[in-house]
Amino acid sequence: MEALKNAFDFSDFPRSDLIIAILVGAAFLIFPLFPHSAFAIATMIQFFIFSLYGMGWNTIGGYGGQVDLGKAQYVGIGAYTTAVMLIRWDIPFWFSMPVGVLFSVSWSFIIGYPLFRLKGHYFAIATIATSLVLKDLFEVWDFVGAARGLEISPIKYAPPDFLRLIFREDVYYYYVIFAFFLLGILYMNWFRKSRLGFQLRAIKDNESVAQSLGINVHWAKIKTYAIATAFVSVVGSFHACYIKNIEPEDTMSLNLSILIALMAMLGGAGSLWGPIIGAGVLIPLKSYLKEWLGASAGLVGIDLIIYAAIIMVISAAEPRGIWGLVEKIRRRRSR
Amino acid sequence: MDILFSSLAAGILFGMALSLVALGLTIIFGVMDIINFAHGEFLMIGMYTGLLTAKAAGIDPLLTLPVAAAVGFLLGIACYLGFIKFLLRGPMIAQLLGTFGLMLFLRNLALLIFGPNDRAVHQGLLVGKSFDIGLGIIIPATKLAAAGLALAAFAAVWLLMNRTRTGKALTATALNPQGARYMGIPTERMNALAWGIGCASVTVAGALIVNFWSVNPYIGLLFTMLAFAIVALGGFGSVPGAFFAGIVVGLITELPGFWDFMTYTFEFDWMLDVPMISFKYMWVYVAYFVIMVVRPRGLFGWKH
Repeated sequence: MEALKNAFDFSDFPRSDLIIAILVGAAFLIFPLFPHSAFAIATMIQFFIFSLYGMGWNTIGGYGGQVDLGKAQYVGIGAYTTAVMLIRWDIPFWFSMPVGVLFSVSWSFIIGYPLFRLKGHYFAIATIATSLVLKDLFEVWDFVGAARGLEISPIKYAPPDFLRLIFREDVYYYYVIFAFFLLGILYMNWFRKSRLGFQLRAIKDNESVAQSLGINVHWAKIKTYAIATAFVSVVGSFHACYIKNIEPEDTMSLNLSILIALMAMLGGAGSLWGPIIGAGVLIPLKSYLKEWLGASAGLVGIDLIIYAAIIMVISAAEPRGIWGLVEKIRRRRSR
Repeated sequence: MDILFSSLAAGILFGMALSLVALGLTIIFGVMDIINFAHGEFLMIGMYTGLLTAKAAGIDPLLTLPVAAAVGFLLGIACYLGFIKFLLRGPMIAQLLGTFGLMLFLRNLALLIFGPNDRAVHQGLLVGKSFDIGLGIIIPATKLAAAGLALAAFAAVWLLMNRTRTGKALTATALNPQGARYMGIPTERMNALAWGIGCASVTVAGALIVNFWSVNPYIGLLFTMLAFAIVALGGFGSVPGAFFAGIVVGLITELPGFWDFMTYTFEFDWMLDVPMISFKYMWVYVAYFVIMVVRPRGLFGWKH
């Protein structure tokens, strides 16, 4: 009960923030009712997916300060579990998703235990290694379709199928992922005020002080890593039902791992709204640059050049991200 | 038995070229504790430089090494002064993502300029020639030359780091930047120099590798990961470590092919399902993970 109250309690934010958040939320809610292009709604779904990935990453990377660049492997585990179970045994999404979470979390415990003996850069590159090993295995494993990947064919089912999450129109997917998104925000709001959340911030500030205060640093990190993993794995399962065609290259690659970290960093790591802002800026930017410059103008790569330039400028000029900028302005104004 | 010796020889030669790739990364990490995701992209630039200079000037690709070194040196210094200098002030995550941005930038610039197709060197003094040195070992001349020149470049860098005043200043900057600054060492200039040397060594490696490996704009990431593995195995910041770990990684990438040969020849049916060659790089990553966890400072590391 206490936890539920905490999750709904946003009172430590300024009122102006909450009004903006509610207005934006309402706009998201009624967005599909207005005329829109298929491209716009697909971009919105990508935005929700990536802000959820970013929130998951933010628990360990933002609050805990452990830069994790291997999150994509859990996207892969979640997506593959759902797809394999649906294709082979016709098990619906709502049952296969928890199984995927179970697999991801078990794997995260197995590799998290040795991983968290490392710190800083050493941790970051070791997470990349685990992700690459898993990707290489999936690329040759015939049971999950090897490098060809898996395809869920919607013809076999009768859309709209709410149990298996197979729809013909994107609107349904939009509302499902929007519900996940709201749940994610509530969970994160609870998490940042929970015991573990405070422990993590202590660890981020100074690990030896945290240890001397009686925090079990290693175990706190492993627990948080599992939470981040569960987040990412759930969305990975959704991704499988939404995209319907999964390959190791686009569910488990290093690029995806880094993109996930980028969302949170760009918006402001270690804050509730950071990953959402980051995804809200980057995802539309990426897809519209691709649409306008990449495909139509026939210049391959120029969209990614601009995108990369923006990443470079932000990481050099404002490493605390957009939320850091907002807070800096606020502090200056209140003085 | 022949095939075993051949794979051993090929692994050692390729490993020497790889260790030159990793040398730049280990210098940059050693001096300023920054992980450079764009490292493979500099290799790609070196490969294109070698290829295009050879084509434009009509000379052998092996003679383009000085050009590649100059391009790499200037590019490295430009990158440091224009970009990395600002990144160093930020937290670690911004550094990682900033160099990732640099990687995307360079890769897509290459894609825009050169197009997505594979290009390879077809003519050259050594291309297509090979030596048979007995015991059934056949060594491609390009790989032998690459390994020899890599060895020479390594010796040069080792001498620079250990036998000159500049090298001492670089080491001092690596150990304690603030202390070095108090001693009157221009640490900013040392950082730029480290980037220059690091990038020059990797572009030289690129100009060597292009003799036996075709180039496309996406080639960088594979070599970045191999270089990370080598640097982790050898110890972050260790020059001799990079050399020996490079040979180890070269052997790891060649031996699965030998294993496959065994399974096909002796018909170990239980192994035939999945050829080991598809796990070629996975064993590298596994070794890298195990070393990172068991001994984070690597086999020869001096800095932690």
